[in-house]
Amino acid sequence: MRDILDQIAQVAAVVLLSPLLQGFILRYEERAQRGQGPSLLQPYRDLFKLFRKQQLVPVTASWVFWSAPVVAFTAMLTVPILIPVLTDFPLPQSDMGDILGGGLVLTLGTFFVNLAALDTGSAYGGIGASRTVMIAILAEPILILVFVGITLMAHAMLPFVVNHLLVARPEVYWSPTHLFLIAAFFVLLLTETDRLPIHSSTHIEVYMIEEARVLEYSGPLLALLKWSSMMKQFILYTIFCHVLLLPWGLSKLGTAMGLAGAVLGIAIKFALVACAVVGVETAQSRLRFYRYQEPLAAAFLLAVLAIVANQIR
Amino acid sequence: MLAAHLSPLAASLFSLLAIGSLLMAFVMLGSRWLKDYMLAFAAQSWLIGLLSATVAYYGGYTELYWVAGLTVLFRGLVLPWLILRILRRLNTAREVRELLSTSTTLVIGAGAVVFALVVAVRLADDLGLNSNVVVLALTVMFSMKLIGFLMLTLRHEAISHILGILVLENGIFLGTQILMPGMPLMIELVLLFDLLVAVACFGVLVRYLLTHIGSTSSHELRRLTG
Amino acid sequence: MSASLHVALLWLAPALAVVLGLALRRARVSEWLNLASAVAVFVLAAPLPFQFVAPVTLLHGYLIVDALGSWVVLCVAIVYLLSSIYAIAYMRQAAHSEGQLPVFYALFAGFALSMLVAPLVNSVGVYWIAIELTTLISTFLVGFERNAESMEAAWKYIIVVSSGISLALLGTALLYWGGSFVYGETYMLSWSTLVAAAPHMPPVLLKMGFLLVLIGYGTKVGLAPMHTWLPDAHSEGPAPVSAMLSGALLNTAMVGIVRLLAVTDAAGHGQLPHLALVVLGVFSLVVGALFIVRQRQVKRLMAYSSVEHMGVLALGFGFGGPLGIAGAMYHMLNHSLAKPLLFFGAGNAMQRFGSKRMDDMRGMWREFPVSGAIWLCGAVAITGAPPFGLFLSEFTILRAGWDGPHRWAAIVMLVLLIAIFVAFLNHFRAMYLGEVSEPANRTPIGGAAWRVLPMALALGALLILGLWWPPSWQSVFSGIAQGLGVRP
Repeated sequence: MRDILDQIAQVAAVVLLSPLLQGFILRYEERAQRGQGPSLLQPYRDLFKLFRKQQLVPVTASWVFWSAPVVAFTAMLTVPILIPVLTDFPLPQSDMGDILGGGLVLTLGTFFVNLAALDTGSAYGGIGASRTVMIAILAEPILILVFVGITLMAHAMLPFVVNHLLVARPEVYWSPTHLFLIAAFFVLLLTETDRLPIHSSTHIEVYMIEEARVLEYSGPLLALLKWSSMMKQFILYTIFCHVLLLPWGLSKLGTAMGLAGAVLGIAIKFALVACAVVGVETAQSRLRFYRYQEPLAAAFLLAVLAIVANQIR
Repeated sequence: MLAAHLSPLAASLFSLLAIGSLLMAFVMLGSRWLKDYMLAFAAQSWLIGLLSATVAYYGGYTELYWVAGLTVLFRGLVLPWLILRILRRLNTAREVRELLSTSTTLVIGAGAVVFALVVAVRLADDLGLNSNVVVLALTVMFSMKLIGFLMLTLRHEAISHILGILVLENGIFLGTQILMPGMPLMIELVLLFDLLVAVACFGVLVRYLLTHIGSTSSHELRRLTG
Repeated sequence: MSASLHVALLWLAPALAVVLGLALRRARVSEWLNLASAVAVFVLAAPLPFQFVAPVTLLHGYLIVDALGSWVVLCVAIVYLLSSIYAIAYMRQAAHSEGQLPVFYALFAGFALSMLVAPLVNSVGVYWIAIELTTLISTFLVGFERNAESMEAAWKYIIVVSSGISLALLGTALLYWGGSFVYGETYMLSWSTLVAAAPHMPPVLLKMGFLLVLIGYGTKVGLAPMHTWLPDAHSEGPAPVSAMLSGALLNTAMVGIVRLLAVTDAAGHGQLPHLALVVLGVFSLVVGALFIVRQRQVKRLMAYSSVEHMGVLALGFGFGGPLGIAGAMYHMLNHSLAKPLLFFGAGNAMQRFGSKRMDDMRGMWREFPVSGAIWLCGAVAITGAPPFGLFLSEFTILRAGWDGPHRWAAIVMLVLLIAIFVAFLNHFRAMYLGEVSEPANRTPIGGAAWRVLPMALALGALLILGLWWPPSWQSVFSGIAQGLGVRP
C-alpha cells in the first residue's frame, strides 16, 4: 500500500515540480546576465492563465491535433513510474520498462507533437518539425549509446541497479566510463532541453526549432504541451542526477519523512545542475544550424570512449 | 610486471589518466584554433607526467619520479612555449580550409580507438595476459598513434603537423610508462632531449617556410611533382 | 690498432672539421678541413671490415664494431670522400656568398659524422636517436639553397621521415617489452641481447615489432610506398648533398632492418619478415620503374633510381641466405660508388645549362667531352649492365632469389630491371644524341679537375669491381652472413 502511494507521489512530484525547475532556470539565466528575471512561480501562473483561455482549432486540423498534447502529457506521466525519482528501490510497475523503454516513451511524445505540427498544414509547423527531427536524428544515436554504456557499466538495464552500483562502489563512480558518460549526457541534456548552444527560445518564428511546432495551439491544449515539455526537462534532469551524477539523497524506506527529504534533495541537486546549465549557456553563443553536429559529434565520441573504457575495466 | 597486478583503485586511477590524455588528443583533433591544439598538448603532457608519477608511486620506481618531473617540465612547459613562439610569428590563427569537417574527423577518430581496442585485446590474448591495464595501455598507445597520423593527414597547417608528430611521441611514451616502467633511465632522458632538438629544428624551418614560401600551409607546397 | 682507438679517431676527424671550421669561418680553410677529414675517414675506414670480422663491443656494450657495421661505414667513407672532392668546385659556383661555405662544410662534416656513428651503435634505442639526428642535420643541408622549392623539399623530408621513424620507435618499444618477458624489467636492449632472447620472446611481439620497424626505417631507406620524400629531398639539395643522401644515408637506415631481420630469424619466425621485405622491394622496383619512364627532371631521375636500388637491396636481404647477403653487400658498395658519380654529372649539367629539366640539356658530348663520357658510362653502370660492378651484384641477388621460395619476385625483378635499363638510357640518349638547340644560356663552370677526379675514381672502381670479385671480401661477406645467423 505504501509503495503504491509512493509511486503516485513520484508522478505527482514530477507534475507539480517541473514548472518550478523551469522557473528557476529562466530566472537565474536572466540574473546571470544582470537582469531582474521573472519570478520563480511564473510558469505556474502561465499555465493557470492558459487553462482559462479559449480553445481555437484550425479548420485544417484532424484528430491528431487533439490527441497529440494528450499523448505527450500521458507519456511524460508514464516515465516517472520507471525511474528513481524519490525512492531508490523499485516501486510497483517500475519494471514496466527499463532504461531503453523509458527513452522510447519519451521519444513517443515528441513524435506525436511532430505529427501535430505537420497536421495543420502551416509553414512554420513544417519548419519546426523538420528541424526537430534533424536534431533528433543526430541526438538519438548518442542517447542510445549512452544507455548502452550505462548498461555495460552496470551489467543490468534497470536504473535502480545503476544507482545502487554507483553509491556502493566509488571506484566505479570515478572510473573514466562513468565520467565520460556524464559528459556525454550533459551535452544531450543541453540539446534536448533546448539550451545554448542549440537554442530556440526566441519570438522570431523563422529561428524557432521546437516552438514552431506549437504555434497553432491555444488554451488548455497549449498548456498541456508546455507542461509536457517542462516535465520532459524534469525527467531528463532526474535521469542525469539520480542515475548518473548524484545518486545520493533518495529515500530508502519510503516513509513520508523520507519522501519529504527526497524532495528537498531534489531541490538541491537540480539547483546545482541548473546552475551548471546556466553557466554553460551564459558562456556560449548560439551555433549555426549546420554546426549542430559538432557538439553532438563530441558527445558521440565521449560515449564511444566510455564504452571502450568500460571494456577494459 | 607491474601492470598485471594492481589494486582496483590504482587501476581506476591509471585508466582515468590514460583516457584523459586520449581525450586531450581528441580535443586537438576536433578544434580548429592552433592555440587550442597547443594547450591541449600541454594538458596531455601534464597528464602523462602525472601518470609517470603514479606508476612510480605504485611500483616503487624512484627514478620514474625524475622522469615524471622532466616530462612535466620539458614536454609540458618548454615544448608548448617553443610552439607558442612559432605561433606568434604566424599570420594564421586557425585552419581555414580543412579537408574534412571536425565532426567527421572526430567520428573517424572514434573508429580508430575501437580498432586499436580490438588489436590490443587480440595482442593481450596472444600474450596470455588478462590484465585490463595492459589492454588499456596498448589501446591508448595505438590510438594516439592513429590519431597523430590522422592529424598529419587531415590538417594542412605546419603547426598541426608538428603537434601531430609530438602526439605520436607522446603515445609511445605513455605506453612505455605503463608497460615497461623499468626501461633504462638514460634512454628515456635522451629521447626527451632529442625531442627538444627536433622541435627547435622545426621552429627554424617554419621561419624559413614563412620567409621563402610566404605561408606555412601545405596547400602552398605544390611546386615539386612527379 | 685497438678497436676503441680506431673508432675514436674515425669520429674525431669529422668532429674536428666541424669545430675548427665553425671557429675559423674561412671558406678556403673549411674546404681543406673537410677534404682532410674525408681522406682521414677513408683511410681509417678502409681496413675496418677486414679487421673486425669478429664483433667487438665497446663502451659498456653501447657500441659494436662488427663486419656489417664496418662495411656500411666503409660505404659512407667512400661517398664522403668523393663528395668532399666534388663539393669544392660545385659549391664555389653554387653558393650565394663566401660566408655560406663554412656553414655548409660544418653541416656536411657533421652529417658525415652522424652517419659514421649510426651503423656502429649496439643499443637499439640509441640507434633510433642516431637516425633521428641524421635526419635533423641533413634537413638543413637539403634546404641549403633557401629558395621555395628547397624549403618545400626540406619540410616534406623532415615531416615524413620523422613521423615514419616514430613507427620504428613504437616497434622498438614493443621489442623491449617482449624482451622484458625474458630478461625482467630492466636490461639493456642491444642487438645481441635481442638475438639471444628471441627464441623465448612471444612471437606476436617479434613479428609486430619487426613490421613496425620495417615500415619505420623503411621510410628512411626510401622503400615504396614510404618513399614520397625521397625524390624531393634528393633533387633539391646541392649535388654533393644528394650524393651523400643517396649513397650513404639510405644504407645506414638499412642496417637497422637487417639486424632486426637476424633477430626474427634466430627465433625461427623468419617467413613473414622475409616476405614483407620481398614485397616492399618489388613494390619499390615497380614505383621506381614507372617514375623513371616519364621523368622530366634530371636529379629526380637519379632519386628514383635510388628507390629502385634500395628495392634491389631489400630483395637481396629478403631472399636471404649467404648468396643473397653477399650480393646485397656487394650491391651496397657498388651503389655507393655509382650513385655519387651520377649526381656529380647531373650537378655539372645543371650548372652549365642553368636548368634542372632534361629537355634543356642537349648536346652533352660537345659541352662535356671527358666528364660526359664518364657520366654516360655511369648511367650504363647504374642500370646494371656489364662490365660494371652492379651487374655482378644484381646477378648474385637474382641467383639467390631463383632458388628460394620467392622465385616470382626474382622474375619480376628481372623484367623491371630491363625496363629501367631501357627507360633510363632513353633519357641519356636524348641528352647526348638528341637535336641540339641554340646555345642560349650556357654558364661557364670552373674547377674541372675537382669535378672530373671523383667521377673518374668512382668509374674506375666500378669497372674493377665489375670484372673482379675480390676473394678476400668473401670472408667478410660470410662473416656478415654468420653474424646475421645464416647457415652457409
